[in-house]
Amino acid sequence: MSSHAATAGPTDHHHDASTSTGIPNKKLFMWGFLASDCMFFGALIATHLIYRLHPPVGTPDPRDIFAIELTSGSTFVLLMSSLLMALAVNACQQGNVATTRKMLLGTIVFGLIFLGVQVYEFIHFVHAYGLTTSSSLFGSTFYTLTGTHGVHVALGILWLALMYIRSFKPRDDSAGQGWILRGFFHFLTFTAMVVLSLYTLLALVHGYEAGNGLAYFFSNHFLAFFGCIALLGGLIWFAKPRGPVDFGEANAIDVESMGLYWHFVDVVWIVIFPVVYLLEYVVLS
Amino acid sequence: MLFVALIPLLSGGWLSGPQSTFETEGPVAKTQLDVFYVTLWVTVIIFIVVGAVLAYTTLKFRTDKPLDELPEPPPQGHGNPLVELSLIAASILALVFIAVPTLRAIWYTYDVPEDQQDIAYEVTAIGYQWWFKFEYPMEMTPQPFGGEAPLITANELVIPAGRPVRVNLRSVDVIHSFWVPKLAGKVDMIPNRGNHLWLQADEPGYFWGQCAEFCGESHALMRFRVIALAEPEFEAWLENQKTLARTVTAPDDAMITTDYVDYGTFRANQPGWSEEFDADPLGNWKALQEPNAGEDAALIEAGRRYFVENRCAGCHVVRGHEGMGALGPDLTRIGARSTIAAGLLENTPENLYRWITEPEGVKPGNFMYHTRIVAPDGMVTMPGYVMRDPATGDVIESPGDIKITPEEGHALVAYLNSLK
Amino acid sequence: MDQSLTKNEFIGTEVEQTQEAKRSWLFTRPDHKTGLVNWLTTVDHKRIGILYGISALFFFLVGGVEALVIRLQLAVPNNDFISAQTYNEMFTMHATTMIFLAVMPLGAAFFNYIMPLQIGARDVAFPRLNGFAYWLFLVGAIILNLGFFVKSGLPDMGWFGYAPLTSTAFSSEFAGDMSTDMWIMGLQVLGVSSVIGSLNFIVTIINMRAPGLTMMRLPVFTWMTLFTSFLIILAFPAITIALVNVMMDRNFGTHFFEVSGGGLPILWQHLFWVFGHPEVYILILPAMGIISEILPTFARKPLFGYPIVVFSGALIGLLGFGVWAHHMFTTGMGTVATAAFTLATMAIAVPTGVKIFNWIGTLWKGQLIMTTPMMFALGFIWMFMMGGFSGIMHSAAPADAQQHDSYFVVAHFHYVLIGGSVFALLAGIHYWFPLMFARKIPEFWGKLSFWVIFGGFNITFFPLHFVGLNGMPRRVFTYDDNMGWSSINMIATIGAFILGIGIAIYFGVMIYSYYKGEKAKRDPWGGRTLEWSLPIPPPPHNFDVTPTVHARDAFWYEKHHKAEIAAENAKKAVDDEAHGGIHMPSNSWFPIISAAGMLFAALMFCNHSYLGAMAGAVIMFFGIWMWSVEGPGGYHLHPTKKGDDANASH
Repeated sequence: MSSHAATAGPTDHHHDASTSTGIPNKKLFMWGFLASDCMFFGALIATHLIYRLHPPVGTPDPRDIFAIELTSGSTFVLLMSSLLMALAVNACQQGNVATTRKMLLGTIVFGLIFLGVQVYEFIHFVHAYGLTTSSSLFGSTFYTLTGTHGVHVALGILWLALMYIRSFKPRDDSAGQGWILRGFFHFLTFTAMVVLSLYTLLALVHGYEAGNGLAYFFSNHFLAFFGCIALLGGLIWFAKPRGPVDFGEANAIDVESMGLYWHFVDVVWIVIFPVVYLLEYVVLS
Repeated sequence: MLFVALIPLLSGGWLSGPQSTFETEGPVAKTQLDVFYVTLWVTVIIFIVVGAVLAYTTLKFRTDKPLDELPEPPPQGHGNPLVELSLIAASILALVFIAVPTLRAIWYTYDVPEDQQDIAYEVTAIGYQWWFKFEYPMEMTPQPFGGEAPLITANELVIPAGRPVRVNLRSVDVIHSFWVPKLAGKVDMIPNRGNHLWLQADEPGYFWGQCAEFCGESHALMRFRVIALAEPEFEAWLENQKTLARTVTAPDDAMITTDYVDYGTFRANQPGWSEEFDADPLGNWKALQEPNAGEDAALIEAGRRYFVENRCAGCHVVRGHEGMGALGPDLTRIGARSTIAAGLLENTPENLYRWITEPEGVKPGNFMYHTRIVAPDGMVTMPGYVMRDPATGDVIESPGDIKITPEEGHALVAYLNSLK
Repeated sequence: MDQSLTKNEFIGTEVEQTQEAKRSWLFTRPDHKTGLVNWLTTVDHKRIGILYGISALFFFLVGGVEALVIRLQLAVPNNDFISAQTYNEMFTMHATTMIFLAVMPLGAAFFNYIMPLQIGARDVAFPRLNGFAYWLFLVGAIILNLGFFVKSGLPDMGWFGYAPLTSTAFSSEFAGDMSTDMWIMGLQVLGVSSVIGSLNFIVTIINMRAPGLTMMRLPVFTWMTLFTSFLIILAFPAITIALVNVMMDRNFGTHFFEVSGGGLPILWQHLFWVFGHPEVYILILPAMGIISEILPTFARKPLFGYPIVVFSGALIGLLGFGVWAHHMFTTGMGTVATAAFTLATMAIAVPTGVKIFNWIGTLWKGQLIMTTPMMFALGFIWMFMMGGFSGIMHSAAPADAQQHDSYFVVAHFHYVLIGGSVFALLAGIHYWFPLMFARKIPEFWGKLSFWVIFGGFNITFFPLHFVGLNGMPRRVFTYDDNMGWSSINMIATIGAFILGIGIAIYFGVMIYSYYKGEKAKRDPWGGRTLEWSLPIPPPPHNFDVTPTVHARDAFWYEKHHKAEIAAENAKKAVDDEAHGGIHMPSNSWFPIISAAGMLFAALMFCNHSYLGAMAGAVIMFFGIWMWSVEGPGGYHLHPTKKGDDANASH
C-alpha cells in the first residue's frame, strides 16, 4: 500500500521507499512476468529446433524461402524501436511530456514497420512458396513461433498507443471524458496514415521496379498520396496542446514497465532471428 | 534372498498371478526385480528407523494438558547442524547404495547384451487400437500371388525359449505399450518413433501381457500372450506358419451335420476365461495347434463362403484363401490361437461366436463394429457392422452394414477354428 | 459516503487536489461493504481466499464422487456398472478436478488469506488483479465441467492428454465434439489464473514485508508460497505452449503432433512433463509449508533447522525442473538420459527427506499438544514418508519399467497427494478456522473425522501397491477374475467409501462449526506467527498498526516482549494518523467483467466460432481498459484514532 509521501522534492525514479526492496511493485511484477514469458518462448523455440533436427520427408528448405536482407532490415528497425522506447522512458522521468509523446510515437511507428514487414513476408511465403501452418511441419513451427512473437509486438503497440492517448488526459477534467474520444480518433488517423504511407511507398517501389515514371505514379495513386498529406495535417491538428495534462514524472513508472516489456519483446526477437533464420545458413545447411 | 522370497507368501498371494512382476521367468524381469528389492530393503530399513523415532517422539513428548494449563514452553532449540549434516550424509549414502545396481541394470536391460547379439531372435510388435500385430522380419513367407514377405501374426507372440529376443516396437495410431511382466518391464510403442526392448524366456512357457499405455476406449481390453517354445518346437511352429492357410474340403454332396447351440444373450463385459485352460495354459495352447476332433467339413466350407460374403475378407488376411485386407489382425492361423479379441477371450466356439456377432459388447468402440474408412466425399469404403453419422455420432442404418445371422455365425466359427 | 475519486496518488509526489469533479458512474468504484455485490467486486485478500476455499472444497467433493464411481466400477471383475467411455471420462475428470480445481485452489486460498497476514501487510500488491485471478479460476472450472451438461460430453483422454489421442482423429466422436477443446481451454484459462495470482504473491512477499521482516525471518509457509509461485510462473508456460500446439493442430491444420504430418507425440510428453513435474511440487510445497507452521505451534518450540528447511524448499523447486523425464522412463530415451534422470530424481529425495528429519526434530523434546490439526500433521509425516519411499522405488528406472502405468504408481501418488497435500490442507483448515471464522471445531468430531479418513485412506491405497506389482495396469475400466486382483480391488472400494464417510464427517463438522461452533478466543493455539496477533476474524485492514518484526516467529517474540512492542506500536499509530490514516483499496467490477469476457471468448473458441471468440476478447479488453482508467481509488481508515471505531472516511 503506498503511503502518503509528503515531500515535494524531485522524484527518485530508481528507489521506491514504500517497498521492502526499493523496487516499485509494478516493475517487480513486470520482471516476474518476463521470466514467465521467457519459459513461454523457450518452449516454442525448443519445439521449432527439435523439429528442425527431425524434419519429416518433404520439408521445404528454408534457405529457398527466407529473404534474409529484408528480415535483417526489420530486425534493425525493431532494435531501433527499443532505442526510442528507452528515450521515451528517459523523457518521462524528466517530466518532458512532449518528448515522451514523440518517442512513444516513434516506437509505435517502428514497431508497426516491423510488423508490416512481417505481414508482407508471410503473405509472400504463402503465395510464392505455399508455406502455411498446415503445409508442412516447418510451416507449423515457424508461423506459431514468429506469430506468437508478432502478437506480443502487436499487444505492445496497442499498449503504447493507449499510453500515448493517456498522455493527453487534461488536468482539468470538468470537460468530461471527451479527450479519450479525441485520442482515439487521433490514433485512428495515425494508423490510417501509416497504412496509407506504406501503401504509397509500396506503390512507388513496385512502380520503380516496373520502370514506371513518377507521372504514372501520381496519376494512379494520387488519392493515396494526397490522403497521406491530409491525414498528416489532421494528426498535427489533433496533437495541438489544449492545456495542462495530467501526465508527467509520476507516470514514469508505467512508461518504464512498458519499456521493460518492449525490450523483452525485442530481445526475444534477437534470439529468434538467429535461431530460426540465420541458423539455417550456418549450422543446418 | 530366501527371506525375500517369503514376501509373496507373506502378502497372502497378493503378488501372485499371471502378470506378477515377482514371478519372473527371464533375466530382464529378474534384473528389474532385483533392483526393486534393493530399493525395497533400503526404504524399509529407513522406514523402520525413522518411523521408530517418530513413534517414540510422539508418545514420549505428548502432553494431555490443554494449552492454558501448561507450564512454560520447552527449551526453544533451533536446530543442530551436526545432526542435520549427518542425516543428509546418511541419506546420500543410502541413495548411492541404490544407484549403483540401478545404473548397471539400466545398461543391461536396454538392449541384448553384446556377447549374445548373434544368437538373438528378432520380432516386431506393432500397436493398433486395440490389438497387436506381430511381424517376424527374419521369416520370409511365400505369398499367395508370388514373392515373399515377413511372417505376420497377431496377438499371440511365439518366441524361442532360452534365447534373447529383441522386440522392435512401433505403432500406427496412438501410443501403446508392450508389457509382459514375467519376462520384462514395459517399453512404449510410440508413433513416428522406433523403440525396442529385449526379453528372454528361460524356459518354455505361456505368458500374459497387456497394453500399458492408455490408448483410447478399449485400452483395458488390449491384451496379448507370449508363448515360448523349445527350439525344435519353435522351428516346427515356424514351418507350419509359413504355409498357406489350411483348407478343409468337403465332398460335393456333404451335409452340415452339426447342431447349433443356442448361446443365449450375452451381457456386456462378460468374462471369457476358464479354469480348465488356466490350469495348463501351455499344454492347452499346444493342443490347439492340432485340428479339432469332429470337424464338420461342410460347415467349414459354408463358413469360408460367408467369410467373403460378409466382407470379413476385406479387412482380414487369410493367406492362401480369400482374406486380403490388412486393416485387422491376420487370421491365417486363428484357430491355433488360445485367445481372441487381442488376448481378451479364450478361443472357444462360444466366445468366438460372441465376438463376431456382438463385437461391441466385447470391445466397445472396436473398428470391426464401427465403420471406420470413409472417403473424403463421405462414401463408405469399408463397411462395418454399423455406421455412425459423422455429424452427430448417432448410429444410422446403412445398406452396407454387415449383418451376421446365427447360421452364418456358427459356420464362420467353424471355419475360423479350422484355420490351424 | 461519496466514493468518487478526488485525489490522484502517485509514488513520490502529491498532485494538487482539484475540485470535486463529477465522474460518470462508469468510473465509480463500488463501495458495498457486505452482501453479494461486495463478494462479486471484492479486492480483499481474505475474502478472495474464502472464495477460493469454498470453490475448491466444492470441486473436491465433485472429484471425490468421480473417484467413487471409478471404485464402484472396479469393485468386482468384469463389472458393467458404467461403460468404458464413461469410465475413461471419470478418471480424466477425477484427476483434472482434484489437481486443478481442488488442491491448487485450496493452496491458493491459504496463500491469499494467510500470507499477507504473516508478512504484516494489509493486502497483496495488486488487489484487483487478485480478484481477477479468482474469477478466471472460476471461469476455467466452469469450462472444464461443462461437459456434464452438453452433448459433447466430458474429456476422456486422461488428465495428461497424450498426443495423438488429443488430435481430432482420435478424440472426436462426432463433428461438433468439443470435449477435448473444452478441456484445453479450461486448462489454458486456469493457467493464466495461476500465473497472475502467483506474480501477485511474488511481488507481495518480496516487496511488502513489514519493517524488520528480513527474508530469513519469514514464516516457512510464506517461503513455500514464494517457491510455489515461482514454480507456477516458470512451469505453466510449458503446458500453455503444449496446449497451444494441440489447439493449432485441432483448429488450424498444423502438424505438431499429427503423426501423418511428421509430428512427434513424444514432444507432447516432454513439454507436458516439464510442466507436470514442477506441478506436483506446486501441489506439495504449500502442504509442507502448512505442516511447518502447525508442528512448531503444537510442539511449542521453533522449527528445527529453519534455514535448512527453507533451503530444501528452494532446492526442491529448482531440482524439480530437472527430473521431468522420470515420467517417461519407458519411452525409450536411451541409457544416458535414463541414467541422468534416475540420478536427478534420487537427488531430489535428499532435500525432501531432510524436511522430514527437521519436522521430527521439531517434535523432539517439545510439548506435543494432540489437537486435530496436529493429528493431521502427524498423519502427513507418516503418509508422505511412505509416498516418498514408493517414489524412490520409481526413481530406479529398471524397477520403474515394471511399475510405470501400473497401480503401483496410483498408490504412490495418492500417498503423496492425499496423505501429503490433502492431509496438510485439511490440517490447515482446522488450524486457521478459529482465525478466519472465530469459532472452534469440536475436538472429538475433528479427531473422529481424522481417524476415519486415515483408516479409509490406507485401506484404499496400501493394497494398491500390491496389485500394481501383480501386473494391474492403470486406466483400465475392467479386469478379469483370474488375474489375482479381485480381492484387493474389492478392499480398495470399501476403503474408498470409508474415506468418503470420513470426508463427509469432516465437511459436516466444518459446516456445523461455522454456524454453531463454540466461539473461539484470540490466539487459541498459542501461535508463533503474525496472523495470530490479530483480532478474530481479522478486520478488513488487518493490522491497526503495521508491526515491526524483531525475530523469526514474530508473534512469539511479541508475546514475550509486550512492553517493547506496545511502545513501538503507539509511536507508529501517531505516525500513521499524521499521514491521514490507513489507505485501503476500493472494490471494482472489472475483474469479474473481464473474466466474463474471457469465459465468452473461450467457449466461442471451443465451438470454432472465431468471430465470437474475438467478441469475447473485446469484452475482456474493454474490462481491462476500464480497470486501468477507473483510477486507483481508495479510502482511508483511522483505527487508532481516539473516539473513532475504525470508521472509513476521506
